[in-house]
Amino acid sequence: MVIRRGPAALGWLLLAFGVAWVVVHAFGHGFGSEGNVPQFITVGLNGVSLAALYFITASGFTLIFGLMRVVNMAHGSLYLLGGYVALDLVSHGTNWWVAMVLAALITGAIGLVVHQALLRWNQGQDLRQALITIAVATILADQMIVHFGSTPSTLTAPSGLSASLELGVYQLQYPLFRLFIIGAAVVIGLVLWLVIRFTRFGILLRAGVDDRDMASVLGVNVPLVFGGAFFIGAALAGLGGVMGGTTLSLAPGQDDQFLLSSLVVVIVGGLGSLRGAAVGALLLGLIEQFSSVYLPQSLTNDAILLTFILLVVVLAVRSQGLFGRTTT
Amino acid sequence: MSGALRPRARVALGVALVVALALVPAIFSTYFTSAVAAQALVYGLAAVSLTFLAAYGGIVSLAQTGLYGIAGFVLARFTVSNGMDPLLAAVLAVVITVVVGLAFGAVVSGSEGIYLLMITLALGVITFYYFSQTPTFGGHEGINGVTAPGFIGDPVTHPAVMYEVLLGVSVIVYVAIRLVGRTNFGLAMQGVRDGPTRMRALGYNVRLHRTLAFTLGAVIAALAGVLGTWNDTRISPGTIQVSQIIVLMTIAVIGGLYRIEGAWIGALVYTLLDTYSRGLTARFETWIGIILLVILILSPDGLTGLAQRLAALWRRSRNGDAARPVADASLPPGPGGPGLEPGPGRTGSTESPTVLEPGGAAQ
Amino acid sequence: MSAASGAPAVDAAAAPLLRTRGLTRYFGAVPAVNGVDLDVMPGERRAILGPNGAGKSTYFNLIAGDLPPSEGTVELFGRDVTALAVRRRARLGLGRTYQTSRVLAGLSVEDNLYLAVLGAARGHLRLVGGRSERAATRRRAREVGEMVGLSGRLGVLAGSLAHGEQRQLEIGLALAPAPRLLMFDEPAAGLSRAERVTLTNLLLGLDRDVTLILIEHDMDVALTVAERVTMLHQGEKLVEGTPAEIRANQTVHDLYLGSGHGEQ
Repeated sequence: MVIRRGPAALGWLLLAFGVAWVVVHAFGHGFGSEGNVPQFITVGLNGVSLAALYFITASGFTLIFGLMRVVNMAHGSLYLLGGYVALDLVSHGTNWWVAMVLAALITGAIGLVVHQALLRWNQGQDLRQALITIAVATILADQMIVHFGSTPSTLTAPSGLSASLELGVYQLQYPLFRLFIIGAAVVIGLVLWLVIRFTRFGILLRAGVDDRDMASVLGVNVPLVFGGAFFIGAALAGLGGVMGGTTLSLAPGQDDQFLLSSLVVVIVGGLGSLRGAAVGALLLGLIEQFSSVYLPQSLTNDAILLTFILLVVVLAVRSQGLFGRTTT
Repeated sequence: MSGALRPRARVALGVALVVALALVPAIFSTYFTSAVAAQALVYGLAAVSLTFLAAYGGIVSLAQTGLYGIAGFVLARFTVSNGMDPLLAAVLAVVITVVVGLAFGAVVSGSEGIYLLMITLALGVITFYYFSQTPTFGGHEGINGVTAPGFIGDPVTHPAVMYEVLLGVSVIVYVAIRLVGRTNFGLAMQGVRDGPTRMRALGYNVRLHRTLAFTLGAVIAALAGVLGTWNDTRISPGTIQVSQIIVLMTIAVIGGLYRIEGAWIGALVYTLLDTYSRGLTARFETWIGIILLVILILSPDGLTGLAQRLAALWRRSRNGDAARPVADASLPPGPGGPGLEPGPGRTGSTESPTVLEPGGAAQ
Repeated sequence: MSAASGAPAVDAAAAPLLRTRGLTRYFGAVPAVNGVDLDVMPGERRAILGPNGAGKSTYFNLIAGDLPPSEGTVELFGRDVTALAVRRRARLGLGRTYQTSRVLAGLSVEDNLYLAVLGAARGHLRLVGGRSERAATRRRAREVGEMVGLSGRLGVLAGSLAHGEQRQLEIGLALAPAPRLLMFDEPAAGLSRAERVTLTNLLLGLDRDVTLILIEHDMDVALTVAERVTMLHQGEKLVEGTPAEIRANQTVHDLYLGSGHGEQ
């Protein structure tokens, strides 16, 4: 509940140092196109688009927690499943956009089934639920290998978005699809924010009502709301998987990667906080992309340690994340 | 486990069990000793680093495979690339792992319950990624050709010595855990498990206790990492990947997450399944997930919990009254109660270490 | 062991054991505690009363260190402890009970008391040795167990105790480290008539080197044990005086018609 000043100062210092390092390397060779500024812009956009992807995925994770205190360890599996389902649909001739919507809905439905069958009856037993979702993740991961194989695949971007956009500076071009992901993240963030602010669902989320009896006393149809929330959260994961599957790839191991990124985003940003998810996603995405380019040669393999440092510093500053809910 | 046995009888039983286990290499084939018995002991030792933290500290940590890996990789690197004496390398590996464990412990000490589970999972996964991306530790391939100390010999062709060493270390760890549980530190650790707010009001530094408890867990994980790497003669990132994190958790849950003995029981069950079910199904991972699910639904405190409840039922039917839960100094402590969350329906309020409080306990 | 007599056996020239000045705590825009000044002298038996919502619990938590104040200071044993963590205040000699018993459920009654005694001593982290200290700590733990009437139940898991026994253990945990100042958070809550008598006698029987503060909204126990009463109303100090003065106070009567037995 306390923001510790020592670690906070260290955090700002590290951030300032990192920013300074990047700025020196990016702009140190001047603003001409022989310098590093074009690369800086590209990497910056990569970081933001990756952050957008992380946000879309993690927002579902943090919502489910914020409302139901369920930590859905199968979230990464749902991400990958969404991508694979879309890939399957597209390979059978479905339009990318339709496939995206269908994949999100199907993933949401699977999430709903998991919630209704396995989680509804043990509400409140956080550890048990988390372990149950771990078991589900294991089963899903293995079954995906059975049905979709282990070779990495990619979704082809829809025809409207497969080109690159002229940025207007330095003769730079940037994939339109990645810009689309950024746009999608902004839209999703806005919609979620509106829902949280102006609907009863959102009030529940903000009040941190996680007691089923309490909620029903307030006139809430608890099974409907909780199930609906799980559906939306899972659908967001699936949606992330479709986007990630188009711009990155789909393969076993991606589920672990996006579970980790969701975990980090939400630990850093704070469980149950949308704002936190946005900030956490930006921090993670930018750190990952900039470190891959701007770290000195000898340290490129240790880039993952920066994620570790991010976690450590944030937890030292505030053990429930930057915008995490405090308990009374 | 049942409290019906007097301490002296329990010790006698334990000794008999150890002696029987020591005879395994003489009775069973070389393959069994190496692939099942020794492997089960390695898994058991790794799992007990988890169940120790859970049972005595109320800390459910998914970072233990990561610590295992650090010990194994450091050992392998020193032995293979630097030609260091295996025993010296082992000591250094344990020391380095314990230092990292201390750091991890400090990071997670302000968190509780499910939040802590998430953070330790993140740490475990980050450790896996680190080792798979760092050429120093062999990258994706890992490090092969790790030789054990001379007196152990080749664990593959002559597993008996490796097995006895594993058995010996396991016994020492078990006894040490029981002894530590009765020390000031051990009692304080359990106090922090049951009521961190109360302990703070009594003057205890809760974060420090959690950090040190985590560090003790790291010692056990490091021992498992060293011995496991010697047993396999190699280590790779695959040894500590996410699926293996889940395997260790599954082993602990099968045996009983809050029972020390459960670690080895779960390990034996898992190793038997792993070794002998491959011919039956190619989808071993799916089945492990299903088994975990079934246990979590039916008997969340695992096989030892099930056994304990059956024993209590049996005693009740014989005596006609409910068995009295008396605290026995040599019994495994625990949040008690069936299920994974401590004591549902207990009178009085107790702070449940497995219920998530996102704020953790602020100091 | 001295029973409370008419006049408090307190040395008025000594420094206050607890002093709060302007202690204030906001929750949002609302001050739950607003500028409360208090002095409690060594050996005193003080009750802090008020209906629900008066700010008693918040005030209590501010003194105990569970909540940081928005404004004001807390001084314990002559030291400014406003920024001091809970455990450090405990080690200075502050003890407290909780409204719902917070016992260490997975440990035996004796182990609970052992940890409470150990809390004020050194050797929290000890892994080996210290045999004689540990034996002495055990002895003291058993003494405290006897003091609170649990000597027959020392081996029982604390989580298995009956509700009343857990309250007894709760008090034992607070007494065990021999605190200089002991704060009770609604100790009479949920107790039967007989249990209240036991509690009152226990509190009256405590030695004068422990100073007592009771937060209560049940007046019976509080006014029997206390020598001085502070009344809070809407986060502010309403009136202060002896139990007789409080009983006779018109404002108290006007504000709290029949509040002597609280809600429920």
